[in-house]
This record gives sequence, structure tokens and C-alpha cells, in this order.
Amino acid sequence: MPDDESTLIARARRGDLDAFDALVRAHQDRVYHLAYRVTGNHEDAADAAQDAFVRAYQALPRFRGDAAFATWLHRIATNAALDLIRRRPAQPPIELPPQTVAPGGPEHEAGRREVARRVGAALARLPAEFRAAVVLRDLQGFDYEEIARILQVPVGTVRSRISRGREALRAHLADLVRSEG
Amino acid sequence: MTMTHEEARARLSALLDEALPAQEAVRVRAHLDTCATCAAVLEELRATVAMVRGVEPVGAPQGFADRVRARLAALPQPHTMPAWDMMRWRPRLHLSWRGVAAVAAAALIGLFGLNLTRQVLPEARLDLAEEPRPALRGAPVPGAAPAPAPGPRLPRDVAGPAVPGVPAVPGSAAGLPALRQVVRTGQLAIEVERFDEAARRLLQLAEGAGGFVAESATSEQGGARRGTYVLRVPAARFGEVLQQVETLGTVQRRAVSGQDVSEEFVDLDARIRNLERQEARLLSFMDRATKIADLMAIENEVTRVRGEIERLTGRHRVLANRVELATVHVELSEKPKAVPGGFWDAGRAIAQIQGAFLATVRQVLDVGAAAAAFAAGLLPLALLGGAAWAIVRRVTGRATPAA
Repeated sequence: MPDDESTLIARARRGDLDAFDALVRAHQDRVYHLAYRVTGNHEDAADAAQDAFVRAYQALPRFRGDAAFATWLHRIATNAALDLIRRRPAQPPIELPPQTVAPGGPEHEAGRREVARRVGAALARLPAEFRAAVVLRDLQGFDYEEIARILQVPVGTVRSRISRGREALRAHLADLVRSEG
Repeated sequence: MTMTHEEARARLSALLDEALPAQEAVRVRAHLDTCATCAAVLEELRATVAMVRGVEPVGAPQGFADRVRARLAALPQPHTMPAWDMMRWRPRLHLSWRGVAAVAAAALIGLFGLNLTRQVLPEARLDLAEEPRPALRGAPVPGAAPAPAPGPRLPRDVAGPAVPGVPAVPGSAAGLPALRQVVRTGQLAIEVERFDEAARRLLQLAEGAGGFVAESATSEQGGARRGTYVLRVPAARFGEVLQQVETLGTVQRRAVSGQDVSEEFVDLDARIRNLERQEARLLSFMDRATKIADLMAIENEVTRVRGEIERLTGRHRVLANRVELATVHVELSEKPKAVPGGFWDAGRAIAQIQGAFLATVRQVLDVGAAAAAFAAGLLPLALLGGAAWAIVRRVTGRATPAA
């Protein structure tokens, strides 16, 4: 509810921690998911997401409301996550031997977890800039203009990063896609 | 016109998102219609994206919001409304500062203009300055005041002369021992338009009042003449003469004094009487003297007493003369003619501007000093208020996070 959210933002701007707490609870899952997909592990994701909310609280007075709060928050969160992996270079992803899993059946649940693990691993192998663009597009559901605002780059750059990121994912996940499709 | 494989491949992602410009999308589709490889890649890409999108989102762990809150509460100084409001108010403050500066500049310019006007038109300043002393300007019309009749009677004179500025000393007539004996002296400095005419009229005045000019001296300096005169006039007409002299020009200085010498008169009279009695006794001794030596001694004493009597009598006469004839010192000066400065007197203009500038600076400094004194007076109040504000802020600042 945008009305509610703008009221909460106004109160949080005045230092109302309860209002900001409500904003945190409303956005924590998406922000955490972004942080988790960009950093690739829960420990860094928790740190990055917390950093993001602390920075957002401090920067709230500069939030002018000309962009959606979610977009603004994602920009801070993306920067926080990218800062973190820049400071703490990502550990080389642990390559597990690919498992062939048949879709459906009693192993359906296990198959879904395997797919999620493979997607995560594939994302982790992308360059950070491509990863952030793909995550914002395909996992967070922002359109190209919003992503351009979040990453502070032109729309053409967004399009190219998403394209090249997806192409890499397609190569990494080709066996899985073929076995499924 | 068809695309190459590379051109088409680079656009497949955007095609999936329908984020391609319409023309490009048409051309990519045209390529895909003829290229099975690229069409297959598109389908694989579509499946990949679908797989990525199908991944279950990872939510924030339990207690995430609480940890964020703990970190926010631990922030050294959470941003508060006042600080940011001050930031946002800054533009308005800037505006008001500009306004204050403009007002101050306008005031300074106005002040300077006023001072310059005063420099250029000194008459305005003279008027202001002389307002409280109209007595000097309002010179009495000659003959308007009734001239006191000369002579030693004058009960009216005893009550005091009606001339403004002349001290009301009782008894101005000589020859009446019962009355007060007063030596009157007046000093006048007068600026006149035409020096010769004024000097001639001064002489007529003195003689017309039954007096005379006792001394006179004239000099000339820088094209302007000055003269000093000592007038002796009968005491009874002293005030009248003063008034008439004042009509000669602009009075610049005026001083009148009356010295009461009655006691000296009484003292002199008594001492003369005593000495005359002593002389009479000595003369009677001389008649009865038998020895030459005694005769000589008495003769010497008589001579000494006689000399003393003469001296005191002379003093009595001088004093009586000074009481009878009042003294008026008059200093006549010719009004300085306008300096022939030619077409334009630059030096004068610069002096006027300098004068106005210095006057403005002095006034600003005066105001600054007054403001500093005022601020110093307010300082204790300001300190108290600041302390109170800090306390209030601290209390409310603590209350907000707890609320």
C-alpha cells in the first residue's frame, strides 16, 4: 500500500525506528534475496542486506520520492552487495559433480533443490556486473529502465549485461535445460 | 535485409523481454525464420530464463529485522529531524542573509548620502545645531528695549536690568554709597559684512551713550580685517550699548560679568577716614612740639600718612571710575569672502566626500560599539537559553527512541 509506505517513510525520516522497522519487514525478503544471489552465500548476504538497510536509514532524508522506494532501496542494496564482494573476493564456487535428476516423481523435491543449487552456482560464476543485472531482471522482476536507475548505467548497457549474463547461464545450465526440456 | 547470427544472438535476450525496438524485433524474427540454429538458441535461452525465474526466492533469515534495528539503535547519532530540517532550511537562511546584507548596504548608502548632503549644504547642519540657542540669533531690534535713564536715581535699576544676558546685579549707579558698587565688563565678538561701516557705527554708539572708545586696534589677514575696541560707557547704559553693538553683525561670542566692589569701597572709605583722623592728631601734636627732633619725626609721619591718604583716594577714584563707566570689549571681524576657486573647487569636493565618509565610518563604529555592548549584555541570557535548549534536546532525543 503506497499510502502506508509514504507515511512510514515520512515517519522514518524523522527518526521513527518503529516506522523504519515496518519498512524493513516489508522489504527484507526481496533485499535479502538480491543480496544472497549477488554475494552467493548466506553469511555475506546477511551482512550486505543489513548494511543496505542501515545505509538506507541514514540516507532516507535524501530520498526525494521521485523514484519508487523499492527501486531506491534496491540501488542501495545492490551497491552494498557489490561493495561486499569487492572487499571480500568470492570464494571459488564449489563445483559439485552434476547429478542427472528426472523431473517429477518422488524425487521432484530433490530435483527442485538440485536446480536451485545449479542456478546459484551458475550465477556465482558470472562476472558481478552481469550477475547483478540478471538477478534484478529475472529474480527481482525489474524492467530495464528500473534496472538502469538501480545500477546507474544506460538502458543499452543493462540490455547488453543481461544478454551476456543469460548467454553464460545458458551455457552453464545447458545440460539441465536439455534434460528438462 | 537480414541480420548476421551474431547480431541476432545479441538481441535474443531483449527479444524475450520484449524490450527491443519494433523494427529490430521484426528483423530478428526474420532471421529466426530462416535460421534454425538461432531459433534453437532462443528456445534454450527461454528455457534457461524460465529455470532461473523458477528458483524459489530465498527469504531473509529469522530475526533479520531485529538485527537491523539493533544496529540502527547502536548508531552513534541517529539522524534527527532538527539537523535535517536545518539543512533544508539553509536555502531560506541564505535568502534572509542576502536580505539582511541588502538592507545593511542600503542603510550605509543612505547614511553616506545624508552625511554628504550635510557636507555640501552646511546650512542645514547649522540650522540643526543652532536650534537650541535662538537667543544669539534673535538680535534685539535697536531701540525696542527701553533705554534706562542715566543718573544716580533708578529704583528700577536696583531691581535689576531687564536686559537679557546681563547679570542682575543690584545697584549700578555710582555715588550712592548705600547702593552696591559694581564693575561691569562685557565682551562681544561680532562678525560683520562691511568692516568700515561697523567700526564707524561702533564709535557713534559709544559717543551717543555718553562714553568713548578707550582703545582700538585693527589688523588684516587673508583679505579679512579684524579690529579690537575697548568702549567705556556709563554703567547705566551698559545693557543698552551691548544690545546696539550686537546689531552690527552676527554675534560669535558674548560674555558679561559684574564684579561687586562695594566692600572694597567701604574698606577704602574707612581707611581714609582713619588716616585723616591720624593726620589731624599728628598736626595737633606738631603745634605742641618743643624739640626740633620731635618736630622732625612728626613731620615725617604726617608726610607718610598724607601719602597713604592720597594713594587710597586715588584708588577710590579709579574704582569709582570703573563703576561709573562700564567696559565693553568688542572684537569686530570681517566675514571671509568666498574663496575665488574658479570653475570648480575639486579640493573642497574631496574634503566634503572625505568628511561624509569619515562621518559614516564613525557612525557605523558607534553603532557597532553599541551592538557589541548590547550583545555583551545578552550573553548571559544566551548562555542560559543555550543550556536550556541543549537539556531539552537531550531529554527529547532520549525519549524518541524509547517511545
